[in-house]
Amino acid sequence: MLDIKRQVIKIAGESGQGVNSIGEIVAKAIKKSGFHTFGYREYPSLIKGGHAFHQIDFADHPINSSSRATDVLVCFSRVSFHAYLPTLRSSGQVIHMLPQLELTDTERQLVREKKIKIGYLAAGDLAQEAGGKTIMANVVMIGALWKLMALKLEPLIEVVRSEFAAKPNVIEPNINCLKKGHGLKLKDLETLKITFKPQASCQHDALLTGNHLIALGAMASGIRAYFAYPMTPSSSILSYMADTYHETGMLVKQIDDEISVAQMAIGAMFMGTRALVATSGGGFDLMTESVSLAGMTETPFVCILGQRPGPATGLPTWTSASDLNLALYAGHGEFPRCVIAVSNSKSAYTVIQNAFNLAEKYQIPVIVLSEKQIAESLFQVKELEDNVTIERHLAEGKKLTTLESGDRYKNTKSGISPRWLPGANEATFVANSDEHAADGSVTEDSEAALTMYSKRLRKLEFLRDELPDPVLVGPQKSVLTFVSWGSTRNTISDVIDLWNKAHPKKSVNLLHYEYIYPPKTSKLLDLIAAAQPLVLLENNAFGQLGALLTAHTRYQFSDKLLKFDGRPFFVEELIEYLEAKLKY
Amino acid sequence: MQDCNCNNPLHVHFKDYFSENINTWCTNCGNYGIQAAIKRALVAEKIKPCRTLLCFDIGCHGNGADKIDGFRFHGLHGRVIPFASGAAVSNRKIKVIAFGGDGGSLGEGVNHLVSAIRSNYEVLFILHNNLNYGLTVGQASPTTKAGVKMNASPDGISSDPIHPMRFVLSLHPAFAARTFSGDIHHMTKTFQTGLRHKGFGFIEVLQSCPTFNHMTPHEWYQKRVKDVNKIKNYDPKNIGKAMQIAEDLETQIAIGVLYQNPDSVPFMERQANRLKAKTELTDEVRQFSTEKLFDAFR
Repeated sequence: MLDIKRQVIKIAGESGQGVNSIGEIVAKAIKKSGFHTFGYREYPSLIKGGHAFHQIDFADHPINSSSRATDVLVCFSRVSFHAYLPTLRSSGQVIHMLPQLELTDTERQLVREKKIKIGYLAAGDLAQEAGGKTIMANVVMIGALWKLMALKLEPLIEVVRSEFAAKPNVIEPNINCLKKGHGLKLKDLETLKITFKPQASCQHDALLTGNHLIALGAMASGIRAYFAYPMTPSSSILSYMADTYHETGMLVKQIDDEISVAQMAIGAMFMGTRALVATSGGGFDLMTESVSLAGMTETPFVCILGQRPGPATGLPTWTSASDLNLALYAGHGEFPRCVIAVSNSKSAYTVIQNAFNLAEKYQIPVIVLSEKQIAESLFQVKELEDNVTIERHLAEGKKLTTLESGDRYKNTKSGISPRWLPGANEATFVANSDEHAADGSVTEDSEAALTMYSKRLRKLEFLRDELPDPVLVGPQKSVLTFVSWGSTRNTISDVIDLWNKAHPKKSVNLLHYEYIYPPKTSKLLDLIAAAQPLVLLENNAFGQLGALLTAHTRYQFSDKLLKFDGRPFFVEELIEYLEAKLKY
Repeated sequence: MQDCNCNNPLHVHFKDYFSENINTWCTNCGNYGIQAAIKRALVAEKIKPCRTLLCFDIGCHGNGADKIDGFRFHGLHGRVIPFASGAAVSNRKIKVIAFGGDGGSLGEGVNHLVSAIRSNYEVLFILHNNLNYGLTVGQASPTTKAGVKMNASPDGISSDPIHPMRFVLSLHPAFAARTFSGDIHHMTKTFQTGLRHKGFGFIEVLQSCPTFNHMTPHEWYQKRVKDVNKIKNYDPKNIGKAMQIAEDLETQIAIGVLYQNPDSVPFMERQANRLKAKTELTDEVRQFSTEKLFDAFR
């Protein structure tokens, strides 16, 4: 198979063994050593036990996806050893701290066939020898990992110092444990051959999750209130908003249920501030009546829908892109809405800012889809993109002072009527969930109802014109074009780079939909007209984007690559697909 | 946010709340009195229509959303409290009043009432308690008395009713009052006290429904209501006493301000990170520099 030009470290253990915090320390230290990283987490929905890992892929070029196979597995627990041993690549290595570890016959055969090397450290004892506590065993382990990678210890020490800055008395023992691990002779293991060179330019990059980026983007766009009920994978937005609220001065409030969350946000937006909410599929189900209310009363509403596999509780801590249909069709009745899906670190920060501008301009609900794969993965980012300018589209100046009640839902060409806030003008109005006349007064007259219904739906046409087209990632000309949305963009982009360099005559590209609804079809129709081979790539079983595009183009996707086991697409999977498809 | 340029903000008349839309309630509906009283209370408290947000739930009372002036929002069944709370926290310069019925507020949306009392959002909530679902033509509500024959309950209600004031007082609200739709003067005074209260105010209006509630018509209430003001030395700061006096809904029904916590701290004054804020959330929507927060991830 094609060389994937990256190294993969997997830190594995039980939930509660600090897998994630150690994983983040390792990722930061590798980044500080001058590499591009991508951090991916798999963990069960429980507080203690089970098995979990934090995987760090690193390379000398930007990467935003994960490899299926591991080069070095660092193991803190027996369960995780047995669970992840099969993920090792040929000549892969394991560092573990499990005395009297017994392998099954199958595992012994696997180790023989793949020439896997296994090294044991009595890490708990070593931690005590170094003056630390037994719980610092995992720090000894990463010291040994550094020795195996032949990387300088200073960046790792620097990261540990800053991670424990709040607990100064544990810094020195932890550093002594690192040094202890780093000073060991790893007789059963072999120094890792990192064939690519570090770059000083990476050292100052930031490492943060998609949820951090979404939260930062929302802050940049001027949100002043955040309401949420915790639900994976969106809960960390709530935590981060709360942890930073002294800096932002924002109102951050955990609410008792998602119905209230949506209603409070609509109330806040109606009064005239910007409020954000985020949830996952189950929570969004409860919000759907409110989405419909926002549509009818023409009140802006922005909701992050962080996807995980359903139905029902599904796989709470795993990834999926199966709620596009929910976002597209949630809420009774017909009304305009906008559905956008973030994909990478750049879009996580900017899309949410555009979402607020669109919600306020068109006075509609805007649903921003994310996925656990984006929400909780660690992206390496050099700088944030420039902020999107805040555009509120509220009536102001002389226009504001001359408004009358009947202007609020005035029938206009674009369907967009003047919007003003309670207290901004003496002209009052009623925002009515019943069908209404121009000042919001209830009406059941057929002509008036038809006028208002049509006015609202007309906004959709203008919105469609304004939305950006899907983007073509990769070369303009290719032998095959993937069509996708969401986090799949990251894996396919990484693969496109590798593939096209290796096979310039059989290059592939991607038509990526970020702004999904109302759908833009002209670029797709051009490809269809040119008889370009298309492959639909989605993290769901129904091919939900495909179905939407079929409805709007009549094109049937015959080639589909769909994955719905709770895992993202891994690099090797797409390479294998291309090798089989394009006959290598 | 740009504020309206009310020429004389203190000059407000009853007619300012007039709407040309014609009320669609039944003859003798309690809603007429409640609407008149809220207008009077707003005028007496010198609150102009452009400085108030009246939020309506779904039901007969909600059909009055466009029959009164002011900024108004007519939302979804059972959801008026969280909507009004979200609005209220965003701009305290606008007086937020929420109206709900016994179905929406004590059945489908009862959790919202609990949350709002606990959080003490600055909302005056007026419960139109007419003991039935009027707009869906006379089914039982959570306050319909047990055994009463209603639409869809031909042999009488098999569930026991909720006692709204017992329920609310058990949550230790900041303000709890009861009044009667047949007494516009009493309602006006009670609403006025509610409008002056800081924090979440709960006012139960015992509302007659001449069409569907034949058990407790206007006259029935009129004979039984007794203002706590007429009780010697009634202390509305004593929640134990309030619980006692609120209990009777059959022989002598206490009306007036039953309980008021003089130390009520409204929601926005409980926010540790906003104690020094001089502006409202609606005034603060502007570009925020994320540079410092982003640098912490380097």
